[in-house]
Amino acid sequence: MDITIESLVFLIFGALTLGAGVLVVTSRNLFHSGLYLMMSLFGVAGLFVLLAAPLLAGFQVVVYIGAIAILIIVAIMLTPGLTQIKTLFNEQWMVNLAAAVIVFLVLVSVITPLMDDVGVDNWNADFTEDHPKAVAADSMTTLGEQLVDPDYFMLPFEVASVLLMAAMIGAVLLVNPGQAEDESVVPPEGEEV
Amino acid sequence: MFEAPSIGDLNIAATLPATLLALGACIFLLVDLFVPKDRKYITALLAAAGLLTSLVLALLSLMNIIEFGSGETAFAGLYIADQFTDVVNVVVLFTGLMGVLVAYNYLDRIGKQRGEYYYLLLFTTVGVMFMGSAGDLVTVFVALELLSIPLYILSGFRWPQEQSEESALKYFILGAFSSGFLVYGIAMIYGATGTTEFRGIWLAVDEIIAQDLSSKYLLLLGAGLTLVGLGFKVAAVPFHMWTPDVYQGAPTSVVAYMSVAAKVGGFAALVRVFASGMSNFVLDGATAAAWQDTMWLIAALTMILGNLVAIVQTDLKRLFAYSSIAHAGYILTAVAAAGSAAVTNEAAQAVAIYLAAYAFTNIGVFAVIISVEKDDSSNTGLDSLRGMSRTQPLLAASMTLFMFSLTGIPLTAGFVGKWFVFKSAIAADLFPVAVIGVLTSLVSAYYYLRIVWLMYFEEGEPQVYIPWPLASAISLAVVGTLLLGIFPYLLQEMAQDIVLAFGR
Repeated sequence: MDITIESLVFLIFGALTLGAGVLVVTSRNLFHSGLYLMMSLFGVAGLFVLLAAPLLAGFQVVVYIGAIAILIIVAIMLTPGLTQIKTLFNEQWMVNLAAAVIVFLVLVSVITPLMDDVGVDNWNADFTEDHPKAVAADSMTTLGEQLVDPDYFMLPFEVASVLLMAAMIGAVLLVNPGQAEDESVVPPEGEEV
Repeated sequence: MFEAPSIGDLNIAATLPATLLALGACIFLLVDLFVPKDRKYITALLAAAGLLTSLVLALLSLMNIIEFGSGETAFAGLYIADQFTDVVNVVVLFTGLMGVLVAYNYLDRIGKQRGEYYYLLLFTTVGVMFMGSAGDLVTVFVALELLSIPLYILSGFRWPQEQSEESALKYFILGAFSSGFLVYGIAMIYGATGTTEFRGIWLAVDEIIAQDLSSKYLLLLGAGLTLVGLGFKVAAVPFHMWTPDVYQGAPTSVVAYMSVAAKVGGFAALVRVFASGMSNFVLDGATAAAWQDTMWLIAALTMILGNLVAIVQTDLKRLFAYSSIAHAGYILTAVAAAGSAAVTNEAAQAVAIYLAAYAFTNIGVFAVIISVEKDDSSNTGLDSLRGMSRTQPLLAASMTLFMFSLTGIPLTAGFVGKWFVFKSAIAADLFPVAVIGVLTSLVSAYYYLRIVWLMYFEEGEPQVYIPWPLASAISLAVVGTLLLGIFPYLLQEMAQDIVLAFGR
């Protein structure tokens, strides 16, 4: 197999993803695990770029690293007792290992025939500049159009807007300090914010 | 480059009951700002009026008096306006109406009379309606969230009371967890079939089976994860852990609504995804779909565990939480039966019938619990019903009827539901499951009839509080339970046009 620039970059990001992923589950310090998780997610973002899916790469960085990983780290920092783990918390690692192996085998079973189609020696053929047709021209525009296009996902888009409003009402309701006080003392209407 | 969509192609009219309610909820939200705090009955009335309007529209559509829009799909196939949608709409809108009736005075008593309650309830109802009519996995997921998130909030509506907060938090965390499973499952199904639309999935499954593609394993995994996600919502064993705690802690008026609405939504989606989208997923020359074995196993476990654990409960809300788990098991029996190609439609009809019958009875039960509950949410033990027949003969008689219906005694709605469910199970050669269902129904008679015994043959002076909205809700439940029980053909008529299996 020729070592092209693409395959080199792929190997780097692949190693980054896998290596950091292993460290996430082996690290004794929960805080470090959180940081490794961010590194692993960053590797996945790199793989998305390599697959000519910049939109997914952007989502990966904004949603996973920017929101979810940060949330996890904040949660870890709020529970200082958990950052140094001496003993194994989860006794069911055999079950987890079995589940992971099963998922892995299923993914392999699906991906192998695809690799046969492309040819193992030629695995990055569709993603090089020679074959730009396999890649959507501008996936951001396509996604945006499909969300408001009646032929695609207009209904879920509208339902999602109602959902976000309901969630917002709930958030306001649950943190409104005026409600926690004795309800028999009703403040005058004008004073509410 | 981008053409403005033409509204005419969308067939929005077909979605009228759901969209009208969504629109109504958004308007009431603004109107409520101008309703003074001591006159929240205006918001409650508006919510009830909105639900009633949609209910009438859905009923008209159900009885085929008016067909809204043209054709069975809207929004390019993402919304399906068939008979199943109509039944789900009618059941959940009725449940919502009852939910408003039982809630109004209860909220007054607990000092939480706020407009948010009513329009969050409307939003959940809209979520259930979109779930029942989903033609696409994306709609299923978004609608599931629209159904769930207002319910999390409503469970914690009584904050800063600790039980209520605990209930909301447990429900939220486990609910979010289960949503994760569902999304993962959807992603796997998309990976295997290349589409999220049920019809497309069905066609793709045909091809996968015909050519024996290896993506069948991915589909299997996707189906399993989807089942886990939706199993959480309908409280099927082993995903039922949240139910007793949430039911016990949440305000009882919320539980009355939630115990029916969340189930209706969950089962509607289960039936759409499995019976409609994957009924042809038959592996290796088997006679039924690949998911049938798992489904009936879960159904059997759910019936057994729900009924057995309910026996030892001493708190009414916990008891009926386990009872609702048991009933999820009965409905799952019908869902499992849908895995046999010849029975798919019959089983889907049985699910619809059971849900309708269950809605009337279960809301009635929780309305009775509300009437005995004290303002500090105590007094929901079994003792609170002791000797009720002396002081409240009518209430005791209603509760007795509900107990008979939940047990499945003839001439009540519950019997009709169980009849159709077990019939479909036998038609699908799931004889052992039907036997388990009948046996566990016998077990359930023990704890249901013990309540009747407590009310009629033991001494006690129960204190009840029944304002007229609550009384009318209980009366409606009684009328519904009796009517559907004595005239089973009403339900049969309603459901007989349900056709979910796609034709080749």
